[in-house]
Amino acid sequence: MATSTYLSSPVVTVNAVDLSDQCTGATVNINYDQLEATSFGDSSRKYVSGLGSHSVTLDFYASFAATETWATLKSLVGTSTNVIVKPTTGADSATNPGLTFTGTFLAALPVVTSLGALGTISVTFNGGVYTSDES
Amino acid sequence: MSFVIASEKIGKIGELYEPKAGINVGALLAGGFIVEQEVSTTEEEKSAKPKYKKAPKE
Repeated sequence: MATSTYLSSPVVTVNAVDLSDQCTGATVNINYDQLEATSFGDSSRKYVSGLGSHSVTLDFYASFAATETWATLKSLVGTSTNVIVKPTTGADSATNPGLTFTGTFLAALPVVTSLGALGTISVTFNGGVYTSDES
Repeated sequence: MSFVIASEKIGKIGELYEPKAGINVGALLAGGFIVEQEVSTTEEEKSAKPKYKKAPKE
């Protein structure tokens, strides 16, 4: 069975900023509302796609250095932007799709710090238009 | 108004940056990733060379 193993080369860009070197995890949820379309005469339930309702959760180290995590995210809270997650650094292709979320909204910017550990920021972008760039 | 890349996080430093649809340009400016480059809208002034008259031949 073919699987994908994510070791060190995924690419994560937020608002066109490449934050791959600060990112430790990405969870992409591509969802569509499931609308019931069953009618008389049907013997099984049927559904059609409704509105897209996507989200991307990204885990970063909380770097406050110039042009790093904090500088990228601090002005995006309460606004919409673009997020791209790609399996590897290679060009977009069917086997290396750029999962692109255009106009996705960042509602919160939680910073987690604890004694003796690197600070982290885990952000979730909601909504926006999803496309898979494969060329 | 045009923008110039100031951080290698978004491209080659010094090159012009053209934001794609959906990009929050204000956040990029605030974070120091790009800087504004003002484009002059006035024509360059011609150099004020003094005109000399040819001396009459004797």
